[in-house]
Amino acid sequence: MANVEVGRDSKPGVASEEQTRPDRSYRPNVDILETADGLRLWADVPGVDESGIDVELVDDVLTIRGRVSAAEYESLQPAYTEYSVGNYEARFRLSHTIDGSRISAKLANGVLELSLPKVETAKPRRIQIN
Amino acid sequence: MALFTYGRDVPANPLFRLQEDLKRAFESPFGHGLGLFGRGVRPAINIFKRAGTEDVVVVIEAPGFAPADISVESQGQTLVVSGKPAGQAAAEGAYHRRERVTGEFSRSIQLPRDVDPARATATCKNGVLMLTVPAREEIKPRQISVTGG
Repeated sequence: MANVEVGRDSKPGVASEEQTRPDRSYRPNVDILETADGLRLWADVPGVDESGIDVELVDDVLTIRGRVSAAEYESLQPAYTEYSVGNYEARFRLSHTIDGSRISAKLANGVLELSLPKVETAKPRRIQIN
Repeated sequence: MALFTYGRDVPANPLFRLQEDLKRAFESPFGHGLGLFGRGVRPAINIFKRAGTEDVVVVIEAPGFAPADISVESQGQTLVVSGKPAGQAAAEGAYHRRERVTGEFSRSIQLPRDVDPARATATCKNGVLMLTVPAREEIKPRQISVTGG
C-alpha cells in the first residue's frame, strides 16, 4: 500500500552537481519508515555536528549533506583501517503526498532524523458505512 | 620564491589527505598483529598512531549511541568496547528502506605491549568514539646523564 515514492533519484549523475572539492563523499545508511502520518527517515552521519549538516528541499528533491571535520585527525597516522572517512550526501525524490513545508529535522549522536508529514488529503481515512 | 608548494601528492584539503592516508593504510600489516576479534563485525574501527609518539588512537563509528550507551573495559592488553543502545520506541509502520545496523555490539582490540590500556581515555562525540591509549612510560626514550669523576 506504499503509495509514497521514496526511491532515490534514478539519475544521480544528471542531478548531482559537479564536484569542486577533491575529497570523496559517501552515501549514508538510511532507514525510511512510513506511518499513517508520514515518513520518518534516519541517516547515519557519524562525525557530523549541527554546523555541518544541511537539509534542503528543492522542488521535490530532498538533499541531505553532512560535512565531517578532519581536525580531529590532525597528527594521526593510520595504522590499521576498516573504513574511510568522508562527507555524506544523499538525495531523495519525494512524492506530492509529502507536505514539504512541515518537514522537521534533528541531529543526535551522529544520526539525522527527519520527519516528513503527509498532506492531510493523503492520510488514510476510514469511511463510515451507513 | 614560493614559500609553500603543494605537490600533486599533497593536496591542501585535509579531508582528502586523510582519505588518501586511510587508503594507503588499508594494506598496512599493522592490523594483523593486533588480534582483532570479530573482524568484519559492526562497528568498523580505525587505528592510528599519534605522530611523534607511540600513543595509539582507536576510532569507532557508533552512530546513534550516546556516551552513556558505550562502555570501554581494559583487560591486560585487550580493550573491550561495547555498546547498548537506549531502548527505542518501536514505531508502527512499514519500512521502505532499512540499511542502518542498530543494536548491541562488542569488539575486542588486542593492543601492542608498548601502550598501557589501563590509562586509556575515551571521548564520544557525534557518534564517533575516540580512544587514546598512551605509550608506556618505560618505552619512552630517556636521557641518561653521564657523571664522571
